[in-house]
Amino acid sequence: MLRIPCPWCGERDETEFRYRGDASRERPAGDAGLTAFTTYVYARENRCGWHLEWWLHVGGCRRLLKVLRHTLSHEIRAVGGPGDSLG
Amino acid sequence: MRGPGRIAPGLLTDATRPVGFRFDGRRMSGVAGDTLASALLANGVRVVGRSFKYHRPRGIVTAGPEEPCALIDVIGPDGREPNRLATTLALHQDLAAESQNRWPSLEYDVGSLSDLFARFLPAGFYYKTFMAPGWAWERVYEPLIRRAAGLGKLEAIVGDHADPAETLHEHADVLVVGAGAAGLAAAHRLGASGLRVLLAEQDVALGGGSLLDGRWDSWRAKVCAALRAFHHVRCLPRTTVLGAYGHGVFGALETLSPEESARFGGLRERLRIVRARRVVLATGALERLIAFPGNDTPGVMLAGAALKFLRHYGVAVGQRPAFFVNSDEAYETLFALLEAGIACAGVIEVREKSLAAERAHALGVEVHAASLVAAVSGRRGVRAVRIADLGGRHRRWLQADCLLISGGYSPVTSLASQLGAALNWREAIAAFAPDLAPAIGQVAGSARGVFGLAAAARDGERAAGAIAAELGRSPSGAGLAAELPPDTEATVMAALWEVPARGKAFVDLQNDVTSADVRLAAREGYEHVEHMKRFTTHGMGTDQGRIGALVGSAVLAQARGVPLAEVGLTKARPFLEPVPFAALAGAEVREHYKPKRRLPLHEWHESAGARFVPTGLWLRPLVYSPQPGWDAVLAEARAVRRSVGITDVSTLGKIDVQGPDAARFLDLIYANTFSTLKVGRARYGIMLREDGMLFDDGTTSRLAAEHFVVTTTTANAAAVLEHMEFHLQAVCPDLDVLLTDVGDQWAQFAVAGPRSREVVAGVCEGVDLSNESFPFMAAGHAVIAGIPGRLFRISFSGELAYEVAVPARSALAAWSALLEAGRPCDITPYGLDALNTLRIEKGHVTSAELNGNTSAGDLGLERLLKPHGDFIGRALSQRPGLAAPDRLQLVGVRPVDRTLPLRNGLQLLDPEGRAASLGYVTSATPSVELGSWVGLALVAGGRRRIGRRLTALSPVHGESTEIEITSSHMLDPENLRVRG
Amino acid sequence: MSAGEALGAASEAPGVELAACAVEIVELAAFRARASELSGISRGLGLELAAPGRAAAGSGQLSVCVRPGRWLLLLPPDSPGAQAALWQRACAGVAAALDHSSGLVALHLAGAELREVLSRGCRLDLDPEVFPPGRAAATLMAQVGVILARLPAGFVLLTPASTARHVREWLTATGRPFGLTAGPDVTVAELSVAAPAVGG
Ligand SMILES: [Zn+2]
Repeated sequence: MLRIPCPWCGERDETEFRYRGDASRERPAGDAGLTAFTTYVYARENRCGWHLEWWLHVGGCRRLLKVLRHTLSHEIRAVGGPGDSLG
Repeated sequence: MRGPGRIAPGLLTDATRPVGFRFDGRRMSGVAGDTLASALLANGVRVVGRSFKYHRPRGIVTAGPEEPCALIDVIGPDGREPNRLATTLALHQDLAAESQNRWPSLEYDVGSLSDLFARFLPAGFYYKTFMAPGWAWERVYEPLIRRAAGLGKLEAIVGDHADPAETLHEHADVLVVGAGAAGLAAAHRLGASGLRVLLAEQDVALGGGSLLDGRWDSWRAKVCAALRAFHHVRCLPRTTVLGAYGHGVFGALETLSPEESARFGGLRERLRIVRARRVVLATGALERLIAFPGNDTPGVMLAGAALKFLRHYGVAVGQRPAFFVNSDEAYETLFALLEAGIACAGVIEVREKSLAAERAHALGVEVHAASLVAAVSGRRGVRAVRIADLGGRHRRWLQADCLLISGGYSPVTSLASQLGAALNWREAIAAFAPDLAPAIGQVAGSARGVFGLAAAARDGERAAGAIAAELGRSPSGAGLAAELPPDTEATVMAALWEVPARGKAFVDLQNDVTSADVRLAAREGYEHVEHMKRFTTHGMGTDQGRIGALVGSAVLAQARGVPLAEVGLTKARPFLEPVPFAALAGAEVREHYKPKRRLPLHEWHESAGARFVPTGLWLRPLVYSPQPGWDAVLAEARAVRRSVGITDVSTLGKIDVQGPDAARFLDLIYANTFSTLKVGRARYGIMLREDGMLFDDGTTSRLAAEHFVVTTTTANAAAVLEHMEFHLQAVCPDLDVLLTDVGDQWAQFAVAGPRSREVVAGVCEGVDLSNESFPFMAAGHAVIAGIPGRLFRISFSGELAYEVAVPARSALAAWSALLEAGRPCDITPYGLDALNTLRIEKGHVTSAELNGNTSAGDLGLERLLKPHGDFIGRALSQRPGLAAPDRLQLVGVRPVDRTLPLRNGLQLLDPEGRAASLGYVTSATPSVELGSWVGLALVAGGRRRIGRRLTALSPVHGESTEIEITSSHMLDPENLRVRG
Repeated sequence: MSAGEALGAASEAPGVELAACAVEIVELAAFRARASELSGISRGLGLELAAPGRAAAGSGQLSVCVRPGRWLLLLPPDSPGAQAALWQRACAGVAAALDHSSGLVALHLAGAELREVLSRGCRLDLDPEVFPPGRAAATLMAQVGVILARLPAGFVLLTPASTARHVREWLTATGRPFGLTAGPDVTVAELSVAAPAVGG
């Protein structure tokens, strides 16, 4: 089980969070076209290593967190808000 | 059979308190503090079960949770529980236990014939023997294997009869696993440093190996007293750490003592979920078996186990034991038995000479040096052992009534492996020892290969000091090491894995895996230790094959001709011990399985005779009648169509949206436009997922220029809020918008029917409800029966209708006022079934149609997609595939024979075409207005098929009905009623 | 004996005591970059807004902060919506004031074995050194969302109204081995006695 250090609430069990996907993706402009949105929604690297991801703290502060997690060791190196650039 | 019996007082037993129990129907007597195993041994019971595959008689092999053989059924008042370990099961008065895997009896087991046919059941037989033909698996092989090979028998002890359990959440600075010398010393030093410590010990008493050596009694008592005095240190005996889950999270299972269990209403287990900043793994070392022919004979037991039975329970496991050993540690059992007055048959010792052998010799014990055990005689109990030289050549037979073996000690590495520890080969102990990252914790004592109690205790202090320093505490020198009884000087052990001799030599006693099976695996190409495990099932039993794990690896290494260090060990996954499902479920069972959400008027609905239906977490009134069938439902729905009805729609999700950018945000979230909505008006909206599929629908009302209230479907209330929060924070963080869940704050009622206007007018003072001033889709603040609330003119039923919202505290006042005002019109409360009937007739969709696979176009809602401007899901809603003409589209269905019923899930087929499904009925109901059943369906190219007939088929029910496809707007397609 | 002394005694008493707490609950949610302005307005109305993760008391009222930029005010009983309307007028344009008096139910919990009870459903570390009086948090308990605030006189627990009965039943069942008893209703004025005056 992950323990995610929420900047607002402190370290909390994964159970309190909802995973919201790959945080390295930026939503394309509305008129960017089908290909850009297909990539945004579907194309994933499934990387073994450091991964930026969204976690919404629904059981706590309800803030969206950006988390840098290692997909193999589960180590969490950094956590921030949506505007923060991590690692 | 005369047993060896109880010969001395035990550390854990009270001989003055006899405890009666039954084993396989036989009455026996043990004493308080016994385990079932120690009581059976005291009663001279030797055979406690039959083995899994060959049905060979098996006895007790160990004295702890690592036991491979002594699995038994416990017969309780509510049923039979299989696979309890006799070696950990506390004896209690009237315990009834039965051996497993024997038919008709333990003494004469028909299945043991399979032993004679063993050559037809080699390892991997699951993969090969039963490969073909495919049909035979289900009908022949599986039932056969299950009957012949089942471990225990599960009866109905689930449901209402399951023993209660509970889950507890724990936090600590340091979790210390194991309370042997190392664990106790570590916990003491950590406690002295001011750290919060949890000390978990699987045994009923703290002390581990120190309990087996009388010289350690005073040290142990002193440390335990000191630990009790620390208010921030908690000791948890009877608690097994089951697994390490990363980020400092561990699962631990506590088996309650009888007193504790009584206090908690019969609670048996307690699952503790521990979160710790660091861990000390002081899990000790496990004695391992040696592979030799007959090593599974009842009476062959690990030497350390015999010592534990003697010290803890005062039970001698034999009157004339022989020993087969390769280390000095194993002689401790010999010396203890001698001291207790048991004469020993002799020691078969692998090594040429050793300090311990010299001591034994001095005590008059015959030591056969540089020797092996090559065979055991006696099928139901050891009678003699055959001694051979190191080359396997016969020397002599030795009479003995049990054989105590020791192949050396392996550090318990399971938790460390789960935490990603590297395992290092240590030649001196012929075992792997783990190395843990300091950020996770420390391994201490014999778990790290540091053998000897004093050395282990010192290592525990070292580990604690390192952690205290890591956590910024000054490691206060506790000075306990100075008082440690010295360790005995020992000669180094000699590795011995397998005896070169003919016959079944087991490496896994529970799964009946022999050394020959391991070699077969290697020959078949299953060379990796994890592959060998799956091919042979070595280590896949409830004991995880622990006492033979390294032996299996060693045999594999030899077969492959590579060093053992290269083969390694299989990774023991959680749980490290069998866990009853009831313990995992904890208190969240039966009525506590899921929380129930109740409406503000739950009690009113109850008193009005509502039958409730769980929808998600909610309990909703289904119909206000105890009678099954459709009559009551149709009466409720008819009241709405003819006069007026009232229903509780408080379960709808309600999200308050405020801020300067509220309208812009809703334009992005919804496929339609809300910035153009006038204050005081509501609009039906649909929202898509970014992949272009429909997500949810509902009405949104504009209460002020920068203030909206969104309603969602009941099912999606939480998901829609998350969807909005995610997009607000991740996609458009610059928008100044506040989203607040106000779902529980507002009770909401729909008042629907041609006479709803007069009812609502009767409770809303000073509101002109005429079409001119409060038309269809009007919305705003209103005072309802004196309560400040909100009024909406929206309709789900297709009738003239209003929704009234008041703060939930005032729900009863508002509802009662509406009922009172509606009395002249015979206002009728209606439930979810009638609500469904009304919306199906009208062609409105719910989660049955908004099922995640439908697009706006599929449901005929494409006109709502705004032509200009961005919104979530816009780009992918324009995928060419979503415009395909054979998409499943929403249509209405009616039976051609108007007297026939429909049902949800009917498959729709073209009577002239191929027998392939064209779609299915999503919702069906008898109709109030249309004189037959009606339904909604998703049909391939459905809109083109309107007017056509299809066959509706339910193979499950054996039904076939001819239906006609209609528009989904079956009632009042011009929407005249809602505007009336 | 004053109400405050009574509560103080309850927190020392063995077992667990569960009581209802009649309060008006108003949530203040600051618009972008208006939080400090909102604090000023609140201070003007006699209530200090708590720091994040804290509960603060002032003139018989409590403020609890478990979400950045948002405060839950626990206020004495009033007519429905009156407090929300009052605060809405006071912070118009600076913050939204939302009435949760119906949407949240407040319970008061105290007693020596309370932590034992809560640890059976709550994942937070409630050790008094980690979570001392004055701390507040939003979390899950017994599978539902709750807000916990620790005060010198015990805990205030807020739970959504639809799950309040579930939470009560869960507390009652879980507290039984610890001798849980139902206490007399508690007012917000009693709660805020001896609560830390300023969050932070
Ligand atoms: Zn948080």
